[in-house]
Amino acid sequence: MSGFRHGLGRLGDAHLNFTFDGKTLLARAGDTVASALLANGVEVVGRSFKYHRPRGVTSSGPEETGALVTIGSGGKADPNARATMEPVTQGLEVFSQNCFPSPKFDLMSVNGLAGAILPGSLFSAGFYYKTFMWPAALWYKFYEPSIRAAAGMGVPPKVADPDIYDRINSFCDLAVVGGGAAGLTAALSASQSGLRVVLFDEHNTLGGQLLNETNSAANTDLEQWRLNIIEALQAAPNVKVLTRTVCWGRFDGNTLAAHQSVDGKVRQNYHKVQAKKIIIAAGAIERPMVFGNNDKPNVMLASAARRMLNHYGTATGKMLAVFTNNDSAYQTAFDYADAGIKVSAVVDSRQYPGQVLVDGCKSRGIRLHTQSVVTEAKGWQAVRSIEIADLAANGQSVSNRRRVTCDVLAHSGGWTPQVQMASHGGKPPLYDKKIAAFVVGDQAADTYSVGAAEGENGLLKGVAQALDAATEACAELGKKSGAVTPPPQDRDGATNIVPLWSVPAKGKQWVDIQHDVTAADVIQSHREGFVSVEHLKRYTTLGMANDQGRTSNVNALAIMAECRGISIAEAGTTRFRAPIAPVSLGGFAGREIGQYFKPVRRTPMQEWHEKAGAVFVQAGMYMRPQYYPQTGETIDDAYERETAHVRQKVGICDVTSLGKIEIVGPDAAEFLDRVYINMFSTLKIGKARYGVMLREDGIVYDDGTTSRFAEDRFFMTTTTAKAGPVMAYLERCLEIDWPELKVRVSSVSERWGAMAVAGPNARATLMAAFPSVDFSNEAFPFMGVVQAQHNGAKMVLLRISFSGEMAFEVYADSDHATDVWQSIIEAGNAYDIAPYGLETLGALRIEKGHVTGAELDGRVTLGDVHMDGMASKKKWFVGKNLKDREGLVHPDRPQLVGLKSVEARTPIASGSILVTDANATAGADKQGWVSSMTYSPELCNYIALGFLRGGKDRIGERIYAAYPVKGRTVEVEVVSHHFIDPTNERVKG
Amino acid sequence: MMRINCPYCGAREHSEFTYGEDATRTTPDSDAPMEEWNKFVYQRDNPAGEHIEYWHHAFGCRAWLKVQRNTLTHDISWVGLPHENPEATS
Repeated sequence: MSGFRHGLGRLGDAHLNFTFDGKTLLARAGDTVASALLANGVEVVGRSFKYHRPRGVTSSGPEETGALVTIGSGGKADPNARATMEPVTQGLEVFSQNCFPSPKFDLMSVNGLAGAILPGSLFSAGFYYKTFMWPAALWYKFYEPSIRAAAGMGVPPKVADPDIYDRINSFCDLAVVGGGAAGLTAALSASQSGLRVVLFDEHNTLGGQLLNETNSAANTDLEQWRLNIIEALQAAPNVKVLTRTVCWGRFDGNTLAAHQSVDGKVRQNYHKVQAKKIIIAAGAIERPMVFGNNDKPNVMLASAARRMLNHYGTATGKMLAVFTNNDSAYQTAFDYADAGIKVSAVVDSRQYPGQVLVDGCKSRGIRLHTQSVVTEAKGWQAVRSIEIADLAANGQSVSNRRRVTCDVLAHSGGWTPQVQMASHGGKPPLYDKKIAAFVVGDQAADTYSVGAAEGENGLLKGVAQALDAATEACAELGKKSGAVTPPPQDRDGATNIVPLWSVPAKGKQWVDIQHDVTAADVIQSHREGFVSVEHLKRYTTLGMANDQGRTSNVNALAIMAECRGISIAEAGTTRFRAPIAPVSLGGFAGREIGQYFKPVRRTPMQEWHEKAGAVFVQAGMYMRPQYYPQTGETIDDAYERETAHVRQKVGICDVTSLGKIEIVGPDAAEFLDRVYINMFSTLKIGKARYGVMLREDGIVYDDGTTSRFAEDRFFMTTTTAKAGPVMAYLERCLEIDWPELKVRVSSVSERWGAMAVAGPNARATLMAAFPSVDFSNEAFPFMGVVQAQHNGAKMVLLRISFSGEMAFEVYADSDHATDVWQSIIEAGNAYDIAPYGLETLGALRIEKGHVTGAELDGRVTLGDVHMDGMASKKKWFVGKNLKDREGLVHPDRPQLVGLKSVEARTPIASGSILVTDANATAGADKQGWVSSMTYSPELCNYIALGFLRGGKDRIGERIYAAYPVKGRTVEVEVVSHHFIDPTNERVKG
Repeated sequence: MMRINCPYCGAREHSEFTYGEDATRTTPDSDAPMEEWNKFVYQRDNPAGEHIEYWHHAFGCRAWLKVQRNTLTHDISWVGLPHENPEATS
């Protein structure tokens, strides 16, 4: 118990209740979980990732390394939330992580002891890689389970997230990333130009580092300046202020990505913002000093301790000590002392901090230790004292160790500009010796970095930079920015730093507190040869936790540079990549989840199918009837019945999903001659022809039927799957390859409903349905096309057959397609018409030996599917030049065959491998595969189509279809792929 | 998100487009030898830097466009119709 409430800060006195591990605690409106826990005296918030060391609040912002908690429970649970970024709401449930039974007493903390005893330590640098090197058997039995149990962070929820997420696309002229003094100034200045401005800030309250300042009388004017700007921005109609919104990535074309947390029905909004200009005012983040046990609860960043006191009205301890290598941390000591909290020591590794600060300490009675360091934080769990020592002038050793009592240690190792966003454009950051940190290098196009993010930390100077950037950005967009009153007081930034990258003393010195990486791990990584910063990162996992190395990166690089005897600038930094902060996947998915994942297309006859009790299946983008079960029928019963019914009577099937393309123009016939392997210029008006397309490389691309309505007008159908790609391909051919052809193509897939009517009674049915059409063999022969009208419906009738039966395809305009379907059903009742689904469509075409997507899989040649004879020798067509390459016409290629189960009722699994040995095992000579299978009611036998090496000459052979995954092997006979009616008697009848 | 300035529709996000192919190749004559066709179909340069490509405005006006794009920076410096060339218009 060290933290306590001390004044109001900027919060009101409205109270809220929340729970931490089930215990009810009091908070104030405006508190974060971190400030509320500290105010309640909670020191140990959770346990660390690998060693289960007690950890507490270390910061007041997105760089939090210690206080990771789970917010909420059940499906709403959000693990690994940073307590510093989560506002407390009434009744909020907060849980500690990675500890059992409680964060104060955790059984797994023995990991830390093991680390001290075992040479090399179980979890030291590179342990993932080394563990994999040990006997493989042990990995599954021992290491993986024990590491999984021991290491980790929060537990993801096991049920679906019930919350709603939204995606928002927007545009703006100027995006300002960061709502500190510089960002506020830039946004307000630009807003006066009338341009559309968006301001992002990830905190609840705008102000950035200004929130660290006291709200006392001495600062009234500075606080008023902040409030005035916020008020002006909120009043400006052309400014969108997005708080609690982390802008986490910058992408090509000035696109910014941001996640916004909101309270209400929607939990988060994912913003994709298109900006003309970007001002990055992301600020700087304090980094820790590296000394022994610097991960203990109540060791926190100096600026955070200050913000807790001044903004949240939470004193982080009853006795404060400060450890620093720069000027900025002194203000924390001064503010605490001025607030009446005892400050037991300021420990400064520099020789002389300047008279102003020396006097500041003296006047407050603070003991100042210069040229001194903290060697170790002490205390059973949280800090209760520190050991300090004199630092040798060369910085390499310490002497005169002594104890100082304190219950919170505020430290500052300097300031790190937040350069990630600016670096996403691909420009590497540069090392700036003056502030001992990386700053933005070359600026990406249309981007300005200002304020602390740019490396320049003084308040007035940062604000002036922001004004300049706003002025220039507006001017480039042809507008004039407005004036903004500068802040009434100045504030220094991270000034006068003398870097001290690690304290020369023993003990566990943490560099990446969140991922439990120590200075010793960095040194070990160097010793083992992983010296590049990118290797260091991956070998130690440094900077890979959800703080993304915000506090650890520079310290680690500096220690590595020291090991290598090179400068930090030479060592360089790892490449920054989006996202710079943990973001929820929910935001990316938005509302496109479950059934809304992708749009569903329905045919005009959907309602009819539903009433008929169809079972639907997704086929491409369409929902199609799979089968129409009668009472008690299984899927097999149903399709076998439907298939037999079509062969004996008549059936009707919805084939709307076929691609339909209208091809019009004086050169339409010539165009088709080029894209199809066979001749279309000779096709007579009123006739249809089956056509095959090849790719440029000579492989079969798609097939379909194209009919000629007029000299210059054709109607093409494509397979369901290729409807989109074929359309794009035809457009490409016309626009790029043959712009001289006078042809227009348009997709009419949505304009026509389509149905196939097949079976011996098909003609009689259609004659009854459409008495005005002459269905005689002479007027309407096989492959004939008739255009007709029926009760206002526009129709195209094609006498083509996919089933091998006498069949017609009827196309009716979408508005009337259901009426036409209904008319056919009513007329067909006299002939016992029944609807059939996709299963039966497949069964019929397999029996007939027609190929479809399962066969035309992008690997087969014309010869493979016995269509080489179709290719015209009289003309050029796409694919002609390469289709006859040696490998594509080789007699040993797998060729289409029919397969028949020797045991009639034994199914042949699709995807089976064709082998000649019944006991074939892995490594057997694979001679082909099974592409589609069905039960054939006509043959009373399971049959299949497949590809078999040299299959054309192997009819009659007995081989085996092996399905090793299921351990099934079926003996099959190789037969012709035309299982029924090979001479086409039925379709022509 | 790359943005492509479609001559018909204006600047649009690249998710409205699909990549087509390398636009620097020339289709061989229909009676060119197989080797030439083989080279045309299979041999591709993979330039680091400026490249000219075909893109299809599939979820827009459905025009095929010629796009000059830097493969290193994704900067798009020119967009035109298939028969146009960057030099001609700049």
